[in-house]
Amino acid sequence: MHYPWWYVPFLTSPMLIAIISVLHVLVAHYAVGGGLFLAVETQYAYRHDHREYLAYLKEHAWFFILITVVYGAITGVGIWWTIGVASPLATQTLIHIFVFGWAMEYVFFVLEIVSAFIFYYFWGRLDPKTHVRIGWIYAGSAWMSLVLITGITAFMLHSGRWPEERTFWAGFLNPQFVPQVLARTGGAFLLASLYVYLHATFKAKDPALRDLIAARSARPALLGSLLIVLGGIGWYLALPESAKAALIAASTLNILVVLIFAVTIAVFFMLYLGPYRNPGWLSPGFAILFFTFGLVAITTGEYIREAVRKPYIIYNVVLGNQVYAEKVPELRRTGYLEGGTWTKAWVAHHYPQVLNNGRIDPAQLLALPEEDQVKLGEVLFLYHCNDCHAGRRGFSPVAQLIRGWTPEMVRTVVEHPEKAHFFMPPWAGTPEEAELLTKYLLRIAHPRPAGMYFGEEK
Amino acid sequence: MDPTTLIGPSSPLGYPAPYWFLVTFKVLGFTLHMIPMHIWYAGVLLAMLLQWRGGKVGRQLARRLMRPMPILIALGINFGIVPLLFTQVAYYKVFYPATILMAWPWVSIIVLLTLAYYGVYIYVAGLRTEGATIARWRQAVGWVTAAFFLLIGFFFSNAFSLMTRVRAWPDLWLRESIGGAPLGTALNTGDPTLWPRWLMMFSLALTTTAVFIIVDAEWFATQERPNYRAAARRAALMISTIGVIGFAITGSWYVFGTWPEELRERMFQGPLRALTGLTAISPGAPWLLILWQWRKGGTRARAVATALAQVLVLALNAISRQIVQNAELAHFLDVTAEPVRIQWSPLILFLLLFVIGLGVVAWMLGKLKALRTSESG
Repeated sequence: MHYPWWYVPFLTSPMLIAIISVLHVLVAHYAVGGGLFLAVETQYAYRHDHREYLAYLKEHAWFFILITVVYGAITGVGIWWTIGVASPLATQTLIHIFVFGWAMEYVFFVLEIVSAFIFYYFWGRLDPKTHVRIGWIYAGSAWMSLVLITGITAFMLHSGRWPEERTFWAGFLNPQFVPQVLARTGGAFLLASLYVYLHATFKAKDPALRDLIAARSARPALLGSLLIVLGGIGWYLALPESAKAALIAASTLNILVVLIFAVTIAVFFMLYLGPYRNPGWLSPGFAILFFTFGLVAITTGEYIREAVRKPYIIYNVVLGNQVYAEKVPELRRTGYLEGGTWTKAWVAHHYPQVLNNGRIDPAQLLALPEEDQVKLGEVLFLYHCNDCHAGRRGFSPVAQLIRGWTPEMVRTVVEHPEKAHFFMPPWAGTPEEAELLTKYLLRIAHPRPAGMYFGEEK
Repeated sequence: MDPTTLIGPSSPLGYPAPYWFLVTFKVLGFTLHMIPMHIWYAGVLLAMLLQWRGGKVGRQLARRLMRPMPILIALGINFGIVPLLFTQVAYYKVFYPATILMAWPWVSIIVLLTLAYYGVYIYVAGLRTEGATIARWRQAVGWVTAAFFLLIGFFFSNAFSLMTRVRAWPDLWLRESIGGAPLGTALNTGDPTLWPRWLMMFSLALTTTAVFIIVDAEWFATQERPNYRAAARRAALMISTIGVIGFAITGSWYVFGTWPEELRERMFQGPLRALTGLTAISPGAPWLLILWQWRKGGTRARAVATALAQVLVLALNAISRQIVQNAELAHFLDVTAEPVRIQWSPLILFLLLFVIGLGVVAWMLGKLKALRTSESG
């Protein structure tokens, strides 16, 4: 409401957040788990004076830096970039609540970067004890950054006591915090092992070494799977009622939940039977399959986590359409166009005749020519609905969703979207504005598909 | 259209810390960010030029410039998080609209940066495996990388100049939007301050890169041939001279050619006059130090003095930019007048972790110093 809405054809701008977030988390979890892997295994290799394993670990550390420090770090910054332009009000709110959480995370980022480079570039030059300590500094910092960012992302799903208390800690220590830290830590363990398998099957030539890597990395992976399941159960139990309902009601989410549990369990048994009991089974094909399963599980998990938040971006605080939840009643009285900084400026510029004492007079909107009403309906659609729906084509396109609807049906859903689907935000405008949006939707709606037969009399 | 109507209301949450705290970290963070960022911004292009037309010593310099680049980029990106974070806290009313108006170029920075960063790694890998005769395709990657960095700088200059040029918003918005929703394709190219700002930053980046060459030659180039340091000092002087001249020209263009009278008066009066003057002449200090070393020879202490002088130049630049930014925005909003609700315990915890973090970094660097001493002894 306070900011311009970025129109991205076909996809809708929030989908860009989803894309970049998924691309990021696939590496971010490895950045944490991989750090722990390197610290633990380097310590083990030094203790047993295992030269071949140390050589492999050095090679893996280089791969790790290339993936996490470059791609992981930039896509992490990329999330910042994207949320600022695609979801500005929620970003502003999060930043004002959690700036010191991010600032703390930054301290750990610096430690990660410095320790990661020292760990790799001074390999073989630092004494083993110092080298391992540096590895642990990286691992600890990476895990702390996971904890800090999880407190913030978990807050988005369940704002806990924050709406009443409005303090940093009330928001950070929300009901979703511990389950998500558990699940993400598990994801980090599991994904790191899958990255290790993928890398080792191509790079570790000695079968004995490959078996050692397979067996040793199976334990954290098995632990990771358990943590994911435990965290997942905690996550479900701590979900707000609306999110639980969304999970049950939406068929796609239903399938995805089954998929994520099935994949996690499949990976668990494959890990147990494969690398843990029979390390020799690990082949490039097996590793690729594992890795693909891991990516599927993480991607699905992230999608579900995002999807069940609807209709909120921040539960009970900011709605998906960049409106403070507490402002809805006021907007219904005064008007959505009037309440939005950029929508009001747009109306004032194009239709100054609807202003009365500097305010938009809702009654005057319906006195405009029909075409202008449709144009204003488009403004309402873009600012109120485009965060989840494309127009004619694309992501969840409204023109396709309302095929064959009567004007009355459209109007009813426009005025009470939260009653038609509880995961939609409520209408935040006046009845006159609802009329404008209805006119626009009817203009772009596709007709009912022809040729459908229901046994009517001919 | 009155552009002030496009500025939204204040956040009901208020600032989480006093404005002075936020702006201090913003300026400090920007100063720290500029150090490594300058080296890659101008350094990659310089390395490509030196590799192409620099002769034997030039190629040696190019190699030494490019080798630490992956680490410098990682540090620079990381240091950039702080100013960006505090910009979003204190300047949210103008930062978000400006970046939304140019959303596609703004978001493309991430893609360009990823490609450029991998480009640097590809080039550096070539240095390891191919030595002086780096493959042509890798050289091409290096040139593309340099171009990407310049383009990223251009987009940054666009975003941060558009942030204060609120007057331009209505036209850009109405021209490039659909149903009142911006397409995200606007650029601030109509702003007369954009070009000198962009070029001024590049000139300043040249001077930082020159200082980096001096520091590298005195502190880290122990394995190079004896004549390398003299050649590096000569090259640094040349690069610094170009940078200082560029800074003088583009700075004058920026201040006298694009600033409104009112801003000029403000920046040339009272205590700000001293700051503006110092900012303008400060790049001369490291330049003189480089000149001195070129004539009298370099030492580690002299290199450190040059580096400190350059940090001072960057800090003065960051402070002046901040004052100008606030002055430009003063017509539309007062960023210091927002309500404040201090989050004491997270703030203290952050400062505590910051100090501990610095301690851990110092411990790690101490270990490297001890290693270096033991290896050289």
